[in-house]
Amino acid sequence: MAESSLLWLRVAAGLYSIGLLDAIVTVLRRRESLFRVAFAAFGIGALFQLVSIVEQGLVQHHFPANDFFETMSLCAWVVTAAFLGIYWRYKAESLSVFVFPLVFVMTMVAALRNPVARWSSESVRSTWLIVHIVLAVLGYAALLFTAVAAVAYLMQERQLKKKQTLSFYRLLPPLGMLDELISRSLGAGFVFITISIIIGSVWAYIEYGTSWIDNGLITTSFITWGIYLALIFFRVSAGWRGRKAAILAIIALFCSAVTWIAHSQLERRLIQ
Amino acid sequence: MKLLLTGLSHKTAPVHLREKLAIPEAGLPNALRELQNMGASEAVILSTCNRVEIAVTSLDHEEPGAVVERFLKEWQGSAAAFEGHLYRLEAREAIQHVFRVAASLDSMVVGEPQVLGQLKSAYAVAKAEGAVGGLLETVLTRAFGVAKRVRTETGIGQMAVSVSYAAVELARKIFGSLQGHTVMIIGSGKMGELAAKHLHRSGAKRIIVTNRTWERAQEMAAVFNGHAVEYTRFAAMLPEVDIVIASSGAPHYILTRDDMHRVIAARKNKPMFLIDIAVPRNIDPAVNEIEGVFLYDVDDLEGVVNANIQERTKQAAQAEVIVTDEVERMMSRLKLEEVTPTIISLQEQLEEIRAAEVARTIRRMPPLTLDQQQQIEAQIEAMTKSIVNKIAHGPISELRRNAGQPEGVQVIDAIRKVFHLQE
Repeated sequence: MAESSLLWLRVAAGLYSIGLLDAIVTVLRRRESLFRVAFAAFGIGALFQLVSIVEQGLVQHHFPANDFFETMSLCAWVVTAAFLGIYWRYKAESLSVFVFPLVFVMTMVAALRNPVARWSSESVRSTWLIVHIVLAVLGYAALLFTAVAAVAYLMQERQLKKKQTLSFYRLLPPLGMLDELISRSLGAGFVFITISIIIGSVWAYIEYGTSWIDNGLITTSFITWGIYLALIFFRVSAGWRGRKAAILAIIALFCSAVTWIAHSQLERRLIQ
Repeated sequence: MKLLLTGLSHKTAPVHLREKLAIPEAGLPNALRELQNMGASEAVILSTCNRVEIAVTSLDHEEPGAVVERFLKEWQGSAAAFEGHLYRLEAREAIQHVFRVAASLDSMVVGEPQVLGQLKSAYAVAKAEGAVGGLLETVLTRAFGVAKRVRTETGIGQMAVSVSYAAVELARKIFGSLQGHTVMIIGSGKMGELAAKHLHRSGAKRIIVTNRTWERAQEMAAVFNGHAVEYTRFAAMLPEVDIVIASSGAPHYILTRDDMHRVIAARKNKPMFLIDIAVPRNIDPAVNEIEGVFLYDVDDLEGVVNANIQERTKQAAQAEVIVTDEVERMMSRLKLEEVTPTIISLQEQLEEIRAAEVARTIRRMPPLTLDQQQQIEAQIEAMTKSIVNKIAHGPISELRRNAGQPEGVQVIDAIRKVFHLQE
């Protein structure tokens, strides 16, 4: 990839990271205070990414969708453009919770193309990895908590709908409290998993260059994150509660379990 | 010490008799003094709308029944008027009754919390008058402990047993704390107003009132410090309302499934609690099928209340077990207290004899070196203590075994005589 094209792409990823921050703030505090700044950064980031893509095309003399990284960048840009278009037409601000993190992670992965550095020391390398694992574990724990709370919510809701007050259900917390729990644990888990996936990607990028990206096992973790993102999005924008939220949380939990199992195989596979 | 509880309650006497025996709060200190003047060691009077009970203790040679009889004659004219309605409970039965009353097991609505407060203030009045300080005080303070134990170990007081409280309970089950939630009252039914009052008291401070008659809406809004909304505009405000109480006289549904679909979408699926206490109903029952909407009509609320009453009955059975257990404990404690003075004076008596004999023996000993003397003294001390303990062991275990038994008094008397114990 052309040097300057990669530079523009990294600048775009940096600008998109403000969008990620906005999404995190929205999820955790349910306020959209950063949105204007993030939206402006997002627009400028889209311009930089466009420049990067066009330049890459001109330098390579072909349509810049030649390999995984180019395709990923192009795809991220298309999502960005679509979001800007939709926002311009419908002012669909809530979509940003979904789009901002997605575009950031896609662009970040696309920018991890040319190996740039080696580890400065073994301890930095292992610390980096430990932070990645700890955050992922915290994220999964939060997801487990969310799933349990979502199931409890579902049971309590059923009971209230059926107008039965069996003594077992008296023990369940009120819906409002469960809802609050779900929001909190989902938000915290999302932040943990997102940061974990960023750290994990950078670690793999420095460790293995580009060979890890098409590994099926790693793809599972991105899919899990994607489901998490969808869960957050439907909750924040459409206020998904009850059955839908419970099912989605359980799917996310299942995917997490798959990712977990996949990662225990990962070390060996990557070395092979 | 003898304990007697005399009284009547909603279970034994109609209200016209209960009110005759009732003693107003202001008259309680006088009545307590009177009971003590007539020979009661301690006295407590519980006088509420559901029961009037007089508990007294007296010394063993007094008859507490006669004291109460005299008191009733003097205060209420005659005890005969209440005959057949009065219950007289002694010792163990009286203790059990006090425990059951405190734990709200004898109440009209089992588990209601007021009676404990009333019992506590009856105790406070007696305490202030110096009318308690012995057995009765021990029983009452334990009764408060029993009531607390029953409340924490069973769910007897947790379930609402009136329609309007059931509404509050359900609202809490849906929203958790009601703080910061908004209530809308549609119409001006009495029951609706009552439910709103309870919700308001439980923390839902923002109240919106709507009514076909604008003045009526304003009137009711003023009661809750809320604000009135024109009837034509209420539907538009629903998305910001968490709890709706519908009690209007409209002959048809004023909220349909389609309306509520729109409202719930605008609320981003945040739950909503609809209470329809109007007859004919104001809200289409199909609304309950929408996710996040909880619709309860009068029958549903009644159903909840009935289930709660059944549940309370179940919990009451558990509570009775606790009360029985507590009565057992109280009785064994009292029995032990009964023989404790005898045991102590027996031990003192024997120790006195032993100490005197040891002192005499030591005085008569031939001169010895200091070392030898100390050694021998220690040996004599140990030996005599061991003899005394072994002699005392028999009578003491006999006393403990006979405490509270029917023939116990004779055994205690015999032991006192045998050992020449002072009264």
